[in-house]
Amino acid sequence: MIKYVLKNMWQRKARTFLTVLGIVVGIFALTVLGGLSARLNQQVKGSESWFTSNITVVPSGGSLFGGSDKFFELSKVREIQGVPGVQTATAGIGVLLNDSQNFSFGAPDLVIGLDMNNGNDLLAQIPLQSGRLIRKGDSGKVVLGSNLAKKLNVKVGDTVNLRGTPFEVVGIFQVTLSAPDQFAFVPYADSLALFRNANPFLQTKDLASVVYVRWKPGVGPEALSRRIGREVSGVRVISPAQAKQQISQFSLIFNAILLGVGLIALIVGGLSIINTMIMSVSERTREIGLKKAVGADTGSILGEYLLESAMIGFIGGLIGTGLGVVAIKLINSATGTKQVTVFAVSTFVVIGPIVFATVLGALAGVFPALRAARLRPVDALKED
Amino acid sequence: MNLITTRDLKKTYLMGDSEVHAVDDISFSIDKGEFLAITGPSGSGKSTLLNLLGCLDAPTSGHVFIDGEDTSRLSSHELTRVRRESIGFVFQEFNLLPVMSALENVELPLRYLGKGARERDSLAREALEKVGLANRAKNKPSQLSGGERQRVAIARALVTNPTLVLADEPTGELDTYNTCRVIEIMRILNEDLGQTFAVVTHDPMVAGYTGRVISLRDGKIDSDATQQPAPLSCEDLARHT
Repeated sequence: MIKYVLKNMWQRKARTFLTVLGIVVGIFALTVLGGLSARLNQQVKGSESWFTSNITVVPSGGSLFGGSDKFFELSKVREIQGVPGVQTATAGIGVLLNDSQNFSFGAPDLVIGLDMNNGNDLLAQIPLQSGRLIRKGDSGKVVLGSNLAKKLNVKVGDTVNLRGTPFEVVGIFQVTLSAPDQFAFVPYADSLALFRNANPFLQTKDLASVVYVRWKPGVGPEALSRRIGREVSGVRVISPAQAKQQISQFSLIFNAILLGVGLIALIVGGLSIINTMIMSVSERTREIGLKKAVGADTGSILGEYLLESAMIGFIGGLIGTGLGVVAIKLINSATGTKQVTVFAVSTFVVIGPIVFATVLGALAGVFPALRAARLRPVDALKED
Repeated sequence: MNLITTRDLKKTYLMGDSEVHAVDDISFSIDKGEFLAITGPSGSGKSTLLNLLGCLDAPTSGHVFIDGEDTSRLSSHELTRVRRESIGFVFQEFNLLPVMSALENVELPLRYLGKGARERDSLAREALEKVGLANRAKNKPSQLSGGERQRVAIARALVTNPTLVLADEPTGELDTYNTCRVIEIMRILNEDLGQTFAVVTHDPMVAGYTGRVISLRDGKIDSDATQQPAPLSCEDLARHT
């Protein structure tokens, strides 16, 4: 039966081609956008794991990433350190690498200066790819996140310019698919200098724009977050659960937009299948009458036309996904100089659209197929 | 023995405001093994009658009994079964599926009977052989002449070994020689296999080759007469034309 259906489709090459093309476009859009969103999700998941292994404390009104111009004094850090249940409270100064950052997924590129008294506890969470961590007493040294190192195209021993100040790269972290991939970690004093360059009217000597809190074993991070919020004034405490929620909200909206665009493309494709199938049925009314005369029941006519429309969907899905994956690879390799992976190809991105297009095709065929199957043989045979 | 009996068979169409009695109160019987022609001027109701006999259409009132089964009481699903198992159709326009080869066209009714691929293939080849087209099995309808196409259609009608073969103007689009060939094949099959043939035709020559002629006028039986079938010699015809 499949052979016969394919022959019928081949018989009307131009029309079949155009209908399949409609699905190809829809599925192509869905695949590429799906790849984009899969990549986004990976990155967001990564950011999540960093932000959920710490409690992030920022000045009231500050953002999750601590890269704002809000700050508080170091006495606040000591206050936080004093809250029962806190293992370490590491002061950090976050400065955006570029003031005018392009829109980015997950975390922005950030220079973070960490208080080296206990900052290494925090950094030791991330495995190194090469070099070493920053030591107490280092100055003008930087450890780069993997993405940032690729973007700046540097290796250990090179010198990089961060906001106009040269730094020696002493270490590069492994890929974590998380926020620190975009971070440059420098000693506290160095980032303070960067911060003061950026904000020349603030002449404070001791400030922090973010405090990373690690909790003692057996202490619940959510409860501790609430306690810090109660006991320390003028701070915004972002607990692991809140960070997670904030991040997933961001990705949900973005995913919805991407998938929405793809779905609109597919609805148009689906309508064109319906149209094509209605034409097929009216063209082949006589054939349907003949088949019924020689003993085809309603079910076999229905099945035949559903098979045809599902086939259009399947072929469109196959080609659309293929083109989509090729496009993703091309875009990824074209942007490869910067080593930024824009799209990710997951199994779902490949299999999902094909299955979806096939089901869509079958659904689009239901109405025309029912029309065909319900024809009375004597009427169908009269048709020219 | 009666294969088909109709009783008070009526089919009425509504044409605008007026009713048209396409088949008007027809009662008659066809015996097993008969080869008969249904003739009459156009609009006399012969195709409508054939459609009613073949369970393609439902009567307005009255009954059609096939092998004793009252088909006017059957659902459309059961009518499909009767068509599939007991009736073969031959149409004026052949109605072959253009994308299928001759062999695949002949196999089609066997598919709907749920026969396996090997059985379909051997039965269809056998049927093509009976109509003298074994060597054209792989050809598409577009590669066959009109006469050959109609013979493929006859093979398709016969492949399920139906008790009744209904043909609606089977020679309407054929020349004299091919008309003769088609009728000859039907007659041989009728004599050899004992299948019942009812042929709608307005061609007196075709009617002359059958053993019984039912003539319709305005939806009623005008005359119903048995006759000695005229002798067939298609080769002579070929020489004359």
